[in-house]
Amino acid sequence: MQVKGSKEIRAGVLDSGLCTGCGACVSLCPYYATHKGKTVMHFSCTRDEGRCHAHCPRAEVNLDMLSSVIFGEEYSAEPFGSYISIYTARAGDKAGLSSFQTAGTVSALMKFSMEKGYIDSAVLTKNDNGFGVPVIVNDPSGIEKASGSRYSVSPSVKGVNEAINSGRKKIGTVSTPCQTLAIAQMRGNPVKQENFIDPIALSVGLFCTWALRASDFTDLLKSMGDVSTIRKLDIPPPPSSVMEIETGNKSYIIPLEEIRKLVPEACSYCHDMTAEFADISVGVFEGRNKQNIAIIRTERGRKIFDEAVNAGYLIREEISSKDIAPLAAASINKKKKGLAKLADAELVNSEGKDAVIRIKKSTLESIFKGGALCC
Amino acid sequence: MLLSKSEGKEFLLMGNQAIARGALEAGVSVAAGYPGTPSSEIIENLAAVAPDADLYVEWSVNEKVSLEVAAAGSFAGLRSLCVMKQNGVNVASDFLLHLVLSGTRGGMVLIPCDDPGAISSVNEGESRYFARLMEIPLLEPGDFQEAKDMTKWAFELSEEISNVVMLRSVTRLSHASGNVKLGELNRAKPSAKFNFSGNLLDAKTGPVITAPVPFRHTQQQAKLKKAIDLFERSPFNRYEGPENPELLIITSSACYLYSREALRVLDAEKRAGILKLGTTWPLPPELLKKHLAAADKILIVEEVLPFLEENIKILAMENIDSIGKIKFFGKNNGTIPSVNEMNPDHVIKAVSSILNIPYTGMPEEYEKSGQILSFTKSPNRELTFCPGCPHRASYWSINRALTLNGKNGFVCGDIGCYTMAILPAGFGTIKTAHSMGSGTGVASGFGKLKSFGLNQPVVSVCGDSTFFHAGMPALVNAVHNGSDMLLVILDNSGTAMTGFQPHPGIPSDAAGNKLPSVDIESVCRSIGAKTFTTDPFNISETEKKVLDIIENETGARVLIMRQGCALSPEKKGKKKYNVSVDSNICKGTDCGCNRLCTRVFRCPGLVWNSSTGKAVIDEIICAGCGVCADICPSGAIKRSEVMS
Ligand SMILES: Cc1cc2nc3c(=O)[nH]c(=O)nc-3n(C[C@H](O)[C@H](O)[C@H](O)COP(=O)(O)OP(=O)(O)OC[C@H]3O[C@@H](n4cnc5c(N)ncnc54)[C@H](O)[C@@H]3O)c2cc1C
Ligand code: SF4
Ligand code: SF4
Ligand code: SF4
Repeated sequence: MQVKGSKEIRAGVLDSGLCTGCGACVSLCPYYATHKGKTVMHFSCTRDEGRCHAHCPRAEVNLDMLSSVIFGEEYSAEPFGSYISIYTARAGDKAGLSSFQTAGTVSALMKFSMEKGYIDSAVLTKNDNGFGVPVIVNDPSGIEKASGSRYSVSPSVKGVNEAINSGRKKIGTVSTPCQTLAIAQMRGNPVKQENFIDPIALSVGLFCTWALRASDFTDLLKSMGDVSTIRKLDIPPPPSSVMEIETGNKSYIIPLEEIRKLVPEACSYCHDMTAEFADISVGVFEGRNKQNIAIIRTERGRKIFDEAVNAGYLIREEISSKDIAPLAAASINKKKKGLAKLADAELVNSEGKDAVIRIKKSTLESIFKGGALCC
Repeated sequence: MLLSKSEGKEFLLMGNQAIARGALEAGVSVAAGYPGTPSSEIIENLAAVAPDADLYVEWSVNEKVSLEVAAAGSFAGLRSLCVMKQNGVNVASDFLLHLVLSGTRGGMVLIPCDDPGAISSVNEGESRYFARLMEIPLLEPGDFQEAKDMTKWAFELSEEISNVVMLRSVTRLSHASGNVKLGELNRAKPSAKFNFSGNLLDAKTGPVITAPVPFRHTQQQAKLKKAIDLFERSPFNRYEGPENPELLIITSSACYLYSREALRVLDAEKRAGILKLGTTWPLPPELLKKHLAAADKILIVEEVLPFLEENIKILAMENIDSIGKIKFFGKNNGTIPSVNEMNPDHVIKAVSSILNIPYTGMPEEYEKSGQILSFTKSPNRELTFCPGCPHRASYWSINRALTLNGKNGFVCGDIGCYTMAILPAGFGTIKTAHSMGSGTGVASGFGKLKSFGLNQPVVSVCGDSTFFHAGMPALVNAVHNGSDMLLVILDNSGTAMTGFQPHPGIPSDAAGNKLPSVDIESVCRSIGAKTFTTDPFNISETEKKVLDIIENETGARVLIMRQGCALSPEKKGKKKYNVSVDSNICKGTDCGCNRLCTRVFRCPGLVWNSSTGKAVIDEIICAGCGVCADICPSGAIKRSEVMS
């Protein structure tokens, strides 16, 4: 991967509508900031090379290099990327959770890892007046407070940078696919810092089809009442195509078509549905009520997951290939659409200019052929 | 020395002091003005002697009011003086237009100091045209002695014609110094009385009004004719040179000195003559006819606009039969540059080309290499805010808040030190900059363009003195018309740019006596603007407040950023903090900082040491405000409070 500087980020990402708002460039230096889900640049930095560019998921991401850093193998054209196994999962009694988005798998994993000392802190994303903002949790009891999904664009990786700045060495992260990509790039030490040790001890990724423009979504929420009284925001699995919102004493149902109008342009370039560079990726099991799907990708992810099951923090069940077919289809679909849109804009393997994605040509072709549906 | 009784003795006086002395010799009683370079020292000098000389001196809220205050003195039979810089005349002009019609009683002199080349201005305004526009006499001193003598005479002239007389100075006269032989001081203290019970049409005893206009206008023009007679015989118009010169230079003001030097350098004193005019409007026709007839080539040397040139050409045309054919050189045909200050070099070039005198002031090679060297080798000293200046901190926060908001908000500015925010010194934050108070008026307009799709946040900045001068009506306008804008008042407690003259927000007068002050915050509140305050040195709070007001408040709002000027008498030379950089922590050009302090924030107290690759504090220059400690991303800049 080629590392450049903030000039390229401004022109190629921020001003081009590609920024995901992930926050990976924020809190590294004084030049970037995030406000209401939007990343902005203060003044200008003249460096030719910097971590902002190296970590950004929209600037010169080499999927094959990244895959070899995280998984020791080339980027796979499979719908879910590299993985070891897939299960259904939900939080067990030992996790002691009463609120979560789907089935509490993510919060249970974080809680278990922190109690066991696998992680010294968890970077989660909490609700702040209708906006998603990162929070560094150092105590297992704080994990549940940040459970549930913030559907608006959230600069969660900013929190990861801040945890690193404050000296945390075993950080657990929960992140959407674009955020996960940024975290994975950082873990590869792209700017070749001396004495670099990967500070991320567990990366949990969330499935994601899109996020929402934070300001617009918050305005919508505010039009329904006090955002601090929102208890639940959920998108039940198809065939229902609505978002359910529960506030103080009312509940609202908004058609997804309305909600989709708030999806930022940047999401339409996204090619990753299942957070392919995480240790474990978690999402909704659409076929079954209140169950997660968990994709175990790395050895350390497998170890923690198994231990959490044995300790009663998680309940796991096998899943059939028939049951994961809809997710595989959705995932390959997103991959094709995102890469095609990037390719149309000459942002894949671009020559003579910055690319968003670099990927082996044959892999790209097999993704576009739509083949290689696994299992 | 201004009150020295050593008549006939020579003193070295600054042009503005000479003017002040001239007014004292004339027995001036009332002097008012608004600060503005290069005019301010006239009022300052008079203020300093006010108690001893029985004067009333004031810094007025703006130039128009200062002219009104001075006029009142004249209406009451006193001699009065009004002083301002060139663009101030524009502000005062509406009252002036009416004043010249009603006429004056006690001698009244208006002194604008023009700034050719805009050395201390954001315009290259010309006040001389106002004399023609308003049909009043115009005097232009050509040296320091004349600055004093003509000021004194101007009062007499004013009484002779019962109208205002304009005396125009320029930077190089106001701010340079020369020998002046003093005259007698007029120490009589006249008594003031305003008479109004006479006949409506009697300018001396009736009400002072402009009606009936045609009657008064006729009177005014008759008075002006009277001035012409006096000008024909005035010793301030002089000719020096041969009887029938090959070239006649007609000039006035500081350009007279440049012209003399040019002829001397070219050794052309026997071929060319100089007609130096001290009374430049209305022109004395007989004097000019005589000199125009004696030469075929006329060069007119003056600064800024071709005022003399146009008037002389009209006069020549009207008298073409007696004068004969002549060729004019000046600004209109490009012999003299049409903008910027004049200097002897420009005149030398003009004269040498007209008279075909070969002249090389400097070998071309030498001049070229000099230019290159001065460009490449001289240290680059950009215009910037002083160390410890609150404006740098204010713009830092305003700029960051507008960036965070992300909606392309912008700042409309006006005139003051803070105008420098059009430059990197203020992070290029100001996007429109015009006259006093105009940023707020322009913002008031921008703030009404929502219905046309203008969604950008609109901010204006205005200094405390400027707020009183012309910002207040703009704020009233914005509140009344429901404009959506934020006025940031950069309150540094003084008219800092021109040297800390007091303004209505300061509890003292020009001479330092106690006066009631007008509280900006309560003024804004009572105008009806939602008003907030902040200390700009607290940058995180200030940034938050700006952002919050932009995003969560609507209508015309005011945020007062209050922090004294670094050069104010209370602060100068006193550090609040000792500041230092811990070089073990400083990240320098590394990723994570890249010299934020010395490359972006750029307080002159912060210096980049390229050999160590670290920032350092220049303790001599650092004013000890401590703000940079809050901007350093790595906490390398340390501050500790100075024990007093
Ligand atoms: C923007 C967004 C879009 C999603 N889209 C899909 C989808 O299309 N299909 C699908 O199967 N699943 C999707 N999910 C994931 C799903 O909503 C649940 O987060 C997931 O099923 C895990 O459930 P859980 O009960 O284990 O989570 P919980 O135990 O409640 O934990 C959720 C964790 O996610 C963190 N979090 C919340 N919001 C964010 C955010 N914006 N960025 C980073 N971290 C966050 C919380 O801090 C918490 O730690 C999406 C999630 C998000 C945030
Ligand atoms: S190169 Fe480094 S210092 Fe410069 S903007 Fe990027 S992250 Fe910040
Ligand atoms: S790192 Fe993330 S927030 Fe920063 S520019 Fe890239 S996509 Fe946007
Ligand atoms: S801002 Fe701080 S870290 Fe950066 S160069 Fe200045 S002193 Fe060093």
